[in-house]
Amino acid sequence: MSTQNLIETHNLTKVYSKVRCVDSVNMQVPSGTIYGFLGPNGAGKSTTLKMILGLAKPTAGNITLFGTPVNEKNRIKLLKQTGSLIESPSYYGHLTGEENLQIIQTLKGCSEKDIDKVLKIVRLEEARKKLVNHYSLGMKQRLGLAAALLGFPKLLILDEPTNGLDPAGIQEMRELICSLPSEYGITVVVSSHLLSEIDQMADHVGIIRKGELVYQNTLESLHSHAKQQIALRVSHTAIALDLLRQDGITATQEDDYLLLPLVDDNYVANLCRQLVSQNISLYRVEKREKSLEDIFLSLTGKESSL
Amino acid sequence: MKTSYGKAVHAERLKLRRSPVWLAFIALPMISAFFGTFNYLNNIELLKSEWLSLWTQHSLFLCYFFMPSLIGTYCSYLWRLEHTRHNWNSFLTSPIPLSALYFGKLTHAVWMTVLGNLWIFFLYYICGRLSGLNSPFPKEAVSWFLFGTVGAVAICSVQLFLSLIIRSFAIPIGIAMAGGIFGLLVTNKGMGLRYPYSLYSMGMRANNPNLALDASAHLVNSLTYVFIFTALSILWLRKHEISAN
Repeated sequence: MSTQNLIETHNLTKVYSKVRCVDSVNMQVPSGTIYGFLGPNGAGKSTTLKMILGLAKPTAGNITLFGTPVNEKNRIKLLKQTGSLIESPSYYGHLTGEENLQIIQTLKGCSEKDIDKVLKIVRLEEARKKLVNHYSLGMKQRLGLAAALLGFPKLLILDEPTNGLDPAGIQEMRELICSLPSEYGITVVVSSHLLSEIDQMADHVGIIRKGELVYQNTLESLHSHAKQQIALRVSHTAIALDLLRQDGITATQEDDYLLLPLVDDNYVANLCRQLVSQNISLYRVEKREKSLEDIFLSLTGKESSL
Repeated sequence: MKTSYGKAVHAERLKLRRSPVWLAFIALPMISAFFGTFNYLNNIELLKSEWLSLWTQHSLFLCYFFMPSLIGTYCSYLWRLEHTRHNWNSFLTSPIPLSALYFGKLTHAVWMTVLGNLWIFFLYYICGRLSGLNSPFPKEAVSWFLFGTVGAVAICSVQLFLSLIIRSFAIPIGIAMAGGIFGLLVTNKGMGLRYPYSLYSMGMRANNPNLALDASAHLVNSLTYVFIFTALSILWLRKHEISAN
């Protein structure tokens, strides 16, 4: 395995009731990055993350964390270096936020001072003595993140950490996550079904669809797939196509539109003049961009939610 | 530096803060002691063996009906903490051996049972004195307490297993209640030592202070139940994929 990958899975597969929820996934999470694990609801994100944490057992394939195989023998050694927030935050509602963290701190065997530090990071210092049953959902999520951060592990696995949060809460959580690699040297795996969220947080991305990892690379590389075009809608499409052909421009027809490659503004102006001079009505001239959403949809299928 | 077991016990103690479930261990033995003493005083012409007679009245309902249900409730509560709020995810990703996490729960169940038993004998002593019993407190009570506690540990391990695999809070308590009542029948048939819910009442010599208990069989059977159900619980934690939902 590459020493630079903190997580590697090899043909990781999970079958539930004859359904391959995770199908031969080869995930590679480089050290020191924020790895966005993106996919529609039910694509297999949580199951994959649970297998990495030992909460679910793979049907086939294997996992290495920090270069060590994930198995019963290495379980404790690996969990000591890992923090996680899976599905929804775990908490004991009859206890205060601070008492909840004391439980995790005791089990992790880390310093009591870490409780103050993580409460400060997630901005829950003032609510530390409040019963968690009285916390808002956003506060519970932040408490879950604080619990995961206790002991400042090398790896943090966060499954849909912004689920159910209001826009302000999402923004706050995003900022927190983004700061972790640079400030604490933590590698973060964060899953989401929202492309925009991963786009704003991650530097590496893995896209899962129906259990299969359909894309894995840097986010920059995903962006490079984005394509810009000029779209024209005119009264006489055939004449316009001829004009373009004479200029050596290959255009394609899509619905009522002609799609041209991205040409400069002067050419567009000339083209419009020519069309008008030939009594062709010009209804629309638009610049179109194949957005990340389009790429995501083409990778995951149109039925997927964003 | 704490061992894994020490950490697990400490963590469980923290979880039990502000949990009123222990109040049941105070209240039910008081009710049983009150009615037992009342019964004893109303039938004092028939019940002539003083402390031993008082014990028959105190222990009957307590050992067969109340205590198994109390242990069942406490064990259900201990696992309910994990069955709710997605806490399994946090529990199972603790960097602690799963066996230590289980023993953390068992330790608290046993500790509560020991305290409950001490409270029962304290109430017995107070009620005896208030009832005008001036003869010395029976020395046999030490044996009742010890064997009763060992039998209770067997119930704890059975109930902890049931509450681990059954997510419902009430069903394992219902099983404990039924188990205790059924234990009365099994004991009357002479097979009490083979039945986990009878080991407590037999150890306590419930309703029968003159019972000649086969001490070694009682100890061996109790420890066998503890061993089997502890092993089953740890195996379940290791092998079964527990969903937090």
